[in-house]
Amino acid sequence: MSDHEHRTPVSLSGLAADDPHLAPAARNPLLVERVIALSLLLGLVLVVGFGVAYWMNAAPWTLGATMGGGLFFLGTGLVAWGKYLMPKGPFVEERHRLANSEADRDAFAAAIVERGGSVVKRRKVLGGLLGGGLGAFGVVALFPLLRSLGPLPKGTLFHTDWRAGSYAVDQTGRRVHVDDLAVGSIVTVFPEGTENTDRGQAVDQTVLIRISNQNYVTQKGRESWGPMGYIAYSKLCTHLGCPVGLYEQQLQLLVCPCHQSMFNVTNGAIPNFGPAPRPLPQLPLYVDAMGYIRSQSDYHEPVGPGFWERS
Amino acid sequence: MNTLRHLARYALAAAAIGAPLAWALPAHAANGPVYQTSRHNAGTPNSDVVTKKNGQITSYGDSAITYNVPSPALAALGQALYLQNCASCHGTEANGVPAAGTTGAFPNLVGLGPATIDFWIESGRMPAADPRAVQAPRRLPRLTHDQALAIAAWINSLSPSYPAIPTVNVKSANVAQGAALFALNCAACHTIEGDGDALARSTFAPSLRNIPATQVAEAIRTGPGNMPRFTGNLSDYQVADIVKYVTTEIQHPRNPGGLGLGGLGPVAEGFVALLVGVAVLALVGFWVGERQ
Amino acid sequence: MSDTITKRQRQRAGGRYGAVGRALGELDDRLGVARGGRTFLDKIFPDHWSFMLGEIALYSFVILLATGVFLSLYYVPSSTIVTYHGSYLPLDGMPMTQAYQSSVNLSFAVRAGLLMRQMHHWAADIFIGSMVVHMARVFFTGAFRKPRELNWTIGVTLLTLAIVNGFLGYSLPDDLVSGTGIRIAYSIILSVPLVGTYLAFWVFGGNYPGTVILQRFFILHVLVVPGIMLALVTFHLILLVRQKHTQFPGEGRTEDNVVGSPMFPVFMAKTTGFLFIVAGVTAAMGAFFQINPIWQFGPYDAARISYAVQPDWYMGFLDGALRIFPAWQFHGFGHTIPLEVTIPAVIFPGLVFGLAYAWPALERRVTGDHAMHNLLDRPSDRPKRTAAGVAVLALISMLFIASSTDVIANYFKVSLNTVLWTMRILVLISPFVAYPIAYKIAKELHETKGGGRRKVTNVVTRTESGEYVAVPAPAYVDDVREELEPTPVPVFIEETEPTGEDDASGGVRVVERD
Repeated sequence: MSDHEHRTPVSLSGLAADDPHLAPAARNPLLVERVIALSLLLGLVLVVGFGVAYWMNAAPWTLGATMGGGLFFLGTGLVAWGKYLMPKGPFVEERHRLANSEADRDAFAAAIVERGGSVVKRRKVLGGLLGGGLGAFGVVALFPLLRSLGPLPKGTLFHTDWRAGSYAVDQTGRRVHVDDLAVGSIVTVFPEGTENTDRGQAVDQTVLIRISNQNYVTQKGRESWGPMGYIAYSKLCTHLGCPVGLYEQQLQLLVCPCHQSMFNVTNGAIPNFGPAPRPLPQLPLYVDAMGYIRSQSDYHEPVGPGFWERS
Repeated sequence: MNTLRHLARYALAAAAIGAPLAWALPAHAANGPVYQTSRHNAGTPNSDVVTKKNGQITSYGDSAITYNVPSPALAALGQALYLQNCASCHGTEANGVPAAGTTGAFPNLVGLGPATIDFWIESGRMPAADPRAVQAPRRLPRLTHDQALAIAAWINSLSPSYPAIPTVNVKSANVAQGAALFALNCAACHTIEGDGDALARSTFAPSLRNIPATQVAEAIRTGPGNMPRFTGNLSDYQVADIVKYVTTEIQHPRNPGGLGLGGLGPVAEGFVALLVGVAVLALVGFWVGERQ
Repeated sequence: MSDTITKRQRQRAGGRYGAVGRALGELDDRLGVARGGRTFLDKIFPDHWSFMLGEIALYSFVILLATGVFLSLYYVPSSTIVTYHGSYLPLDGMPMTQAYQSSVNLSFAVRAGLLMRQMHHWAADIFIGSMVVHMARVFFTGAFRKPRELNWTIGVTLLTLAIVNGFLGYSLPDDLVSGTGIRIAYSIILSVPLVGTYLAFWVFGGNYPGTVILQRFFILHVLVVPGIMLALVTFHLILLVRQKHTQFPGEGRTEDNVVGSPMFPVFMAKTTGFLFIVAGVTAAMGAFFQINPIWQFGPYDAARISYAVQPDWYMGFLDGALRIFPAWQFHGFGHTIPLEVTIPAVIFPGLVFGLAYAWPALERRVTGDHAMHNLLDRPSDRPKRTAAGVAVLALISMLFIASSTDVIANYFKVSLNTVLWTMRILVLISPFVAYPIAYKIAKELHETKGGGRRKVTNVVTRTESGEYVAVPAPAYVDDVREELEPTPVPVFIEETEPTGEDDASGGVRVVERD
């Protein structure tokens, strides 16, 4: 507050009580006063109505309408009061230079530079030690701060829970049998035992499509992956990991509902439109002696969106 | 009168307990509309009870849906209607080979099953307004229900096939199960609020807001157009659950929070926030301030 | 100190003004607030309506805090799976996280809960919307120039934090739509080169989805981010008082004064009323427009998805950028950089906000203008700045529109692929089209004399000899607004003993304070 002493005192004029600056802005203050009174009264009634509506456990829209209307009309009345009935001005306020004089600035800077300098220059070792200590603490503190937040990724992003021989089950845990799907059908499957786990749903989810009644080859080298027309792709979009649950059976496209990447189902799920850069990984399948759909192995590449360590 | 009595009672209670305490107490009372649905244990799908004929599923072994084959007696009438309305594209034999002079390939209808034929006709998609359109849009049906049944009967008589026309017993279906199944199987295309949306190229997932129960079940079982078919992976109980969810919560959302904003979600909400919220407040601000 | 002195001191310390005067006297004894307080009450606020835009943001923030406290009393930030048996029967028996269950319960089982939730969400949308409009006002009028660069920086930071906190809050209910948003956020963090996987694992406490993300988002959303924002808002306002308002040029307005209404009572009445109006409009929107019906979306499950899922509007430009960016990944040296994610979702927003932060310095450097500016520009006064601002806004708006390619395709029944390609082109050309148009308009407006003012009507009459004469018509009453010479806020000091009642005629005389 001491800077008040050094500032030029605020010069304020006097005004006669009948000065036009003090007159209300409204041309017809009496009328405006009535309108304001009406607005405030309406606000009061509605606010009380909100209380009543609350007691009577009314529907949300009644609560909101009474509270909102009440506040709105109270506000409108108050604004109008300030705008039309209070002194219309205009009033003026001088603006003062915020900057201080050269001398003040020099004194400030001198205090920091000279005092600080004199201390640090004479005790360089102490300063160095203190600075080193604090700096080391800053770096060291960072480790537990970050490292405690979670485990290191290690290899977890490279594998799913699909193993050689995993049964494909739907979300209720029912194994998918080769007779279950007609051509053109799709079902989301998980390796048996993970269908109700977070990780199963987030990482292992796979779309199983029946594309024909014969063994189906989506790409060279995948001759045995699509027994009896069953083919399976990771359900995680290679763009941002949304579930690619949108299957168009005539266009033979899997479409990601988030950013509309389109994957060609008949051709190894190579993306042919949208931002996804890589095909959906395909899961090699086989039909066992009982007729159940099982996986030959895990996916041959990491599923889902791209990351630095992915080769 | 009742209201007044209630008010009086509330006033007395407030006076007795003290407003702040009473204000806090009833906070656990249920609010808004009461939601009701009948419950039963939804059957889990079981391949063992599925009946198959010629490799096609004819029954799922439960009573949630009855499949009816249209009466063969209608076949003669059906053939006449077919020749009049459908043959120019699908051919007089219904095998997708059109009459001479017409080009292009059209679907072979033989062996598709009555549900498919019924769905396409009764949803107004067939006879098509524009046979070359990528996707026939839903519109007012050109043929009556009986005519559709007759055509389905005739095509079925060429090669009896399934699924037959479903009648869904929605009364005993479970809405909550239906909601979960809808989110898993349908929402990816039709959106979680059932409004439909644009798919790849010029295809569209239609809105589900105004579709009768039978057609919902037919679409699920037959997979019209680009829609996948849901066969052995959904039991009739589950289909009935979905149909019930669609015909109740999707088609008649209760919207306890006010206007539903067309189900477009955050896009519509954003427009309302900016064009109603911010704009109205800026206008009020325009009044509060001066124009100078 | 004897009693008499104390009494006399009390008398002096405002005894003439009754209880209020005595209370202020006691306060002044201890804190010395009289002089500063009086200066504060006399503080002049410019009356121009565009200064109310920032107040919308301020009061939305107040509403967010109030409704947010209400919601936090019922929300449970837990990923524990429970089975729902509440009053919303379409979800009956469904397994869900406690977070989702508590969100549904606070909507249906808590009295006025749904209203509070919807108000909170609408207030958030309005908050960020009004911040953007306020920022545009500050930008286009040059209010960010020296000495107010620091306040501009605080404002940009507030906008960034508000967007982040909006996303965090959007994620908390753990419904199907918000869960998808978290999934995308995880993948975006994952995309950062070199450290992405580590960052993602630290934020989520392991591989997606983990079990801690909701409680972490919760504490960030209700404590850390709003705490920082509250501090910054306070600092924003302190700077505003310290540096005083800018004002548009006009009669009696100079670089060295501020013309308008005093803090007390005029501005206080208006602004308090405006707070009520903002709250009222928000409550009405919460009452009549349903927002984010989480009970329809159902609980999140990583294998489920809905089509037409968009983030809240303020994240829309990021979603649009992600949609239209081509599938370019960098692949080599045994590593992958998902450029198709990193560029639109990390680098691009970094550039946009970086540009916003750097703008005052950039403009100083380009124009060489290091002077103090308390008088505002009209947007047409600085065609280049205006055009640059419009170009950036055009780009962001087109990206926002690009976030609903599917909705557009569905509505106009055109191919989704065509819409996406159209948006790619429109986004790219929009700044280059917007810039010259805005520049031209601003330039011509600037060169037009009296632009934006009401034109004087000319009456054309034909004389008997056939000559046409144009004479300016007499002004209407409303045309001429009488503007008085601005005057300092007056001081009334009663010279005579107060009579105890209002006595405007005799006892009160106006004197100057030295």
